[in-house]
Amino acid sequence: MTDSIVNRQPSAFSIWILVPGCRRPFIGILLIPCLFSCSSGNTKYQQYFAQGQALYERNCSNCHQKNGKGLGLVYPPLAPSDFLDKNFSASLCLMKYGNRGEISVNGNTFNKPMPGVPSLTELEIAEIGTYIYNSWGRDRGVVEIHEVKLALDECGPK
Amino acid sequence: MSKNEKLPIFGERELRGKDTLYHTIARFEFVDQDSALITNTVFRDKIYVADFFFTSCRTICPIMKTQMLRVYEATRDMPDVLLLSHSIDPEYDTVALLHDFAKRLGVESKRWHFVTGVKDSIFKIAQTSYFATALEDKTEPDRYIHSGAFLLIDRKGRIRGKYDGTKEEDVNRLIEEIKMLRLE
Repeated sequence: MTDSIVNRQPSAFSIWILVPGCRRPFIGILLIPCLFSCSSGNTKYQQYFAQGQALYERNCSNCHQKNGKGLGLVYPPLAPSDFLDKNFSASLCLMKYGNRGEISVNGNTFNKPMPGVPSLTELEIAEIGTYIYNSWGRDRGVVEIHEVKLALDECGPK
Repeated sequence: MSKNEKLPIFGERELRGKDTLYHTIARFEFVDQDSALITNTVFRDKIYVADFFFTSCRTICPIMKTQMLRVYEATRDMPDVLLLSHSIDPEYDTVALLHDFAKRLGVESKRWHFVTGVKDSIFKIAQTSYFATALEDKTEPDRYIHSGAFLLIDRKGRIRGKYDGTKEEDVNRLIEEIKMLRLE
């Protein structure tokens, strides 16, 4: 989206703000399809994102920090994180099952064990996933429960 | 607080003749991440900030360390200001582990000492010298109950400020008060 489009269509821009679930490509095309294509997913996206943020702040932000920056080479960042970008399923699994051993993020090696949160439901993982995969420069859209199910089936209890 | 006002002095005081004796940090002897012996002498004529933590703590410690790192950055050009983090899980937090931890935080040993030692001595100094809570409790998720306090200690070993090390605003105040204390 360029500034000139925003200037010519301020209403389109304001709606874009209201529907962050709407992915960028739609913006360039037309306002109307964007409204139609996004309206159904919009409420769900917003709910998932807000719940995900609350769950993130309760379960994850102690170490990864509210701003996702992590802590030096002690706790890896999520913002940015090539690990998150490249390992979608594994990242969902980490939330529930944690991790032991080395993990490489942005070229740095981290080795503190990450405790999982086994009590997280598939819905909650989808919500946290929606939050972190639509924050800090990411715009993946809703992480669906079936995607979580699939990921958890792959990794299973460690 | 106005510029002329001084920071309070914490703890009991005793009048002896014309002199007032203030509460000071008791003698201690710990070992830091470089295996260096760390005693009160290291902090003689220095201002320092103390806290209690352990490396495997997942509750408040990561937040405390993020905030202490802010203090570290803010005092970068103040050679008279040091930081002292005591492990309250000294059996697990060996010198090697603290060394790795400090290295991963990217901090210099000469400005920020991470110390380990005899567990009872650390608990005792926490409770009786720094008035900070540090107790072992196996029912706690992280096995310890401890406060997230940062304590500001002046050149004479007296406590001049107590801050919640998990709160950014409180740590902002600490950074300001370090500057005030340096002017005394």
